[in-house]
Amino acid sequence: MAAGLARIDRYAELIVQVGANVQPGQLVEVIARIEHVDVARAVARAAYRAGASYVDVGYSDQHVRRAMIKNVSEDLLSWTPPWLLERVKHFGNVNAAIVALTGDAEPELLADLPGELVGKARMKEIGEELTRQTNEGLNNWVVAGVPNKGWAAQLFGEPDVDALWDLVEFCVRLDEDDPVAAWRAHVRKLGARADRLNDMQIDSLRYRGPGTDLTVGLLPESRWQGCESVTANGIPYVANMPTEEVFTTPDARRTEGFVRSTQPLVLNGQIVKGLEVRFENGRIVDVRADVGADAIRGELAVDERAPYLGEVSLVDGESRIGQTGRVFFETLYDENASCHLAYGSAYAEAVEGGVIDGVNVSAVHTDFMIGGPRVEVDAVLRDGGVVPLLRENIWQPTH
Amino acid sequence: MAAVAPAIDERLEAYADLTVRVGANVQEGQTVFLNTQVEHAPLARAITRAAYRAGARYVDVRYRDEHVRHAMIELGPDAALTHSPEWMKLLYHAMEGEALIWTTGDPEPELMNDLDGERVGRARMKEITEIIRHQMVERSLNWSGVAYPSAGWAEQIYGESNVERLWEAVAFCTRLDEADPVQAWRDHMARLEGRGKALTELDLDAIHYTGPGTDLTIGLNPNARWMSALFRTRNDIEYVPNMPTEEVFTTPDCRRAEGTIRSSRPLVLDGDIIEGLQFTVKDGKIVEVTADKGAGIVRGQLEIDDRAGYFGEIALVDGTSRVGQTNTMFFDTLYDENATCHIAYGFGIPEVFDGDPGEGMNISNVHTDFMVGGPELAVDGITKDGTTVPILREDVWQLD
Repeated sequence: MAAGLARIDRYAELIVQVGANVQPGQLVEVIARIEHVDVARAVARAAYRAGASYVDVGYSDQHVRRAMIKNVSEDLLSWTPPWLLERVKHFGNVNAAIVALTGDAEPELLADLPGELVGKARMKEIGEELTRQTNEGLNNWVVAGVPNKGWAAQLFGEPDVDALWDLVEFCVRLDEDDPVAAWRAHVRKLGARADRLNDMQIDSLRYRGPGTDLTVGLLPESRWQGCESVTANGIPYVANMPTEEVFTTPDARRTEGFVRSTQPLVLNGQIVKGLEVRFENGRIVDVRADVGADAIRGELAVDERAPYLGEVSLVDGESRIGQTGRVFFETLYDENASCHLAYGSAYAEAVEGGVIDGVNVSAVHTDFMIGGPRVEVDAVLRDGGVVPLLRENIWQPTH
Repeated sequence: MAAVAPAIDERLEAYADLTVRVGANVQEGQTVFLNTQVEHAPLARAITRAAYRAGARYVDVRYRDEHVRHAMIELGPDAALTHSPEWMKLLYHAMEGEALIWTTGDPEPELMNDLDGERVGRARMKEITEIIRHQMVERSLNWSGVAYPSAGWAEQIYGESNVERLWEAVAFCTRLDEADPVQAWRDHMARLEGRGKALTELDLDAIHYTGPGTDLTIGLNPNARWMSALFRTRNDIEYVPNMPTEEVFTTPDCRRAEGTIRSSRPLVLDGDIIEGLQFTVKDGKIVEVTADKGAGIVRGQLEIDDRAGYFGEIALVDGTSRVGQTNTMFFDTLYDENATCHIAYGFGIPEVFDGDPGEGMNISNVHTDFMVGGPELAVDGITKDGTTVPILREDVWQLD
């Protein structure tokens, strides 16, 4: 990374070099909201410096979407304009690098519209095409957050963008002298953690803490993953910035016990606090919360497989997101704060053999945090031995 | 929880309504394509709402970003400069039979100044331009362009970023200051239509310009009308492609132009300003270009193709022009070309012909207007029997 660059350009370099890992000659797509222009422009510059053949920045505007939802006939709500589908297909066909920017500038903009219409207003064909591209490993891609006033106001109660930039800078290791080198070391560390867990032959995980006594069974084919993914063409990339987790796909049939969430959860514009969930035979059979239990119950009713686990993820106290002690109201950040589970769909890439029996498939995937200093996590091995994984937020296994 | 609906700026909404109803004249059930830039978001959002109010089926908004283009020109490979993405070709083809609105008003006029001018000139999506040109020839879409006042544009005009002052100028020029802007536009267009009809009925053979540094005769096409910017698609949707508009114009016979012409106002081209521009014209073609500043940029443009140096448009504007009355150099063709009489080299205007334009209409990938009018310019019509008919003297229309 060139020295002397402004913070925003250093961030863009990191997104392009470590996140998407743009290759010389690659077409680059940038997905952004118009409020993300500053970072989108910096990413375009960084991508060309990395040798991009062309950078195609697609800006969307939630105000345009709002007008669309309010006015179009119902059959057009989920319509995909053919030129946009062609655009997405082309990016798959030529194995483009993709940078997706997040950070909602007006989180409540659509709150007064009928939820049912907002839910329907998704370009369905593009969603299907993207799922196909992801499953086939066609693109090296990254999701990264862009500080803006609206997002800052959610965190701090005031639009202090500089303060949010400081947090983001810390979480994505931009405060390091050489952030690229720091990320390479971070990627190696999480990769080694995943390798170690895979070597252990784990049968199940056991969580114990206040309000929590939970066993999550794994599949013999479950594979722990660090934060580095690889495309079908062999290009490594880091799909989320920040990322702090090692994760795998559990056996959806073997979850037993109860668990108390350790952080608020933002779900469809609502905040859920004090969530408690009980599992029997893999399925969530009871949901309680101080606030927002109905939002969870509603989502669990979306389909038959929604109340089963799809992801189990381990994060220790070294997590920079966790260290901030903040709720970011943005899954990209919050899921990296501490250990979490997700009910709903699983990641086929974390299973030897893909979607086999025990791998959950659902239209839903929602992460909720269950980690913290008072939660002990153990691995129960196939030979019956027990190995501590986390104590007081400290990672236990050594080589 | 009570959600706060976004604040509404009444003037902006009225401007957007005018753009949609009079400008593009969006029809019930049409898809509206909005070609805008990120800095114009407030206007783009208002136009989107206005288009839906007018019954649009769907509004597709494409935000371009000149900073991304700057990055491409500065850092991208040569092939990127002229790259026309396939999906964008599909988008432009999809515009056939629909409505198109674009926005202008450069928020950062000097953005490209640090770049290699030759690369800036080459950075054009040629294939996209061809698709649009084809649709204009076929008259298959109703379209309009409007400007968005921004701090950077105001700074360029006034030397201070007084956006409100620019807004007032824009509101005056586009008749938004009238009690009923839509009716004011109907009256205005009827008056310009009347002028066009009167000129067409004179059945002129040529136009003769005289003034300081100017003595130019341009031949006219017998099958071309004079018209105002009240256009009709081939499906008979009336629209006004430019707001403001103050001109009556025609496409001259590109084979017949002789003499010299001096531009009366600076010309803004690709972010550069050309001053004191003067052309010598022989057998219809610009054979010599001189200027106090920026002649090379014009010469470069005239070399884009072998028909760039022939005239495609002549337009007459008198002193009643609201744009002219502001005495302001807007650095934006949409405005400046409506301040005073102008001529364009390059592509002609197919709308002025009934049926096949024939060889009199110039065809080129270039169309650049330069201003020639002002109180010192005299414009005469020359009839087929050689009689001279005064059209403009001291900025006053002689035929009303």
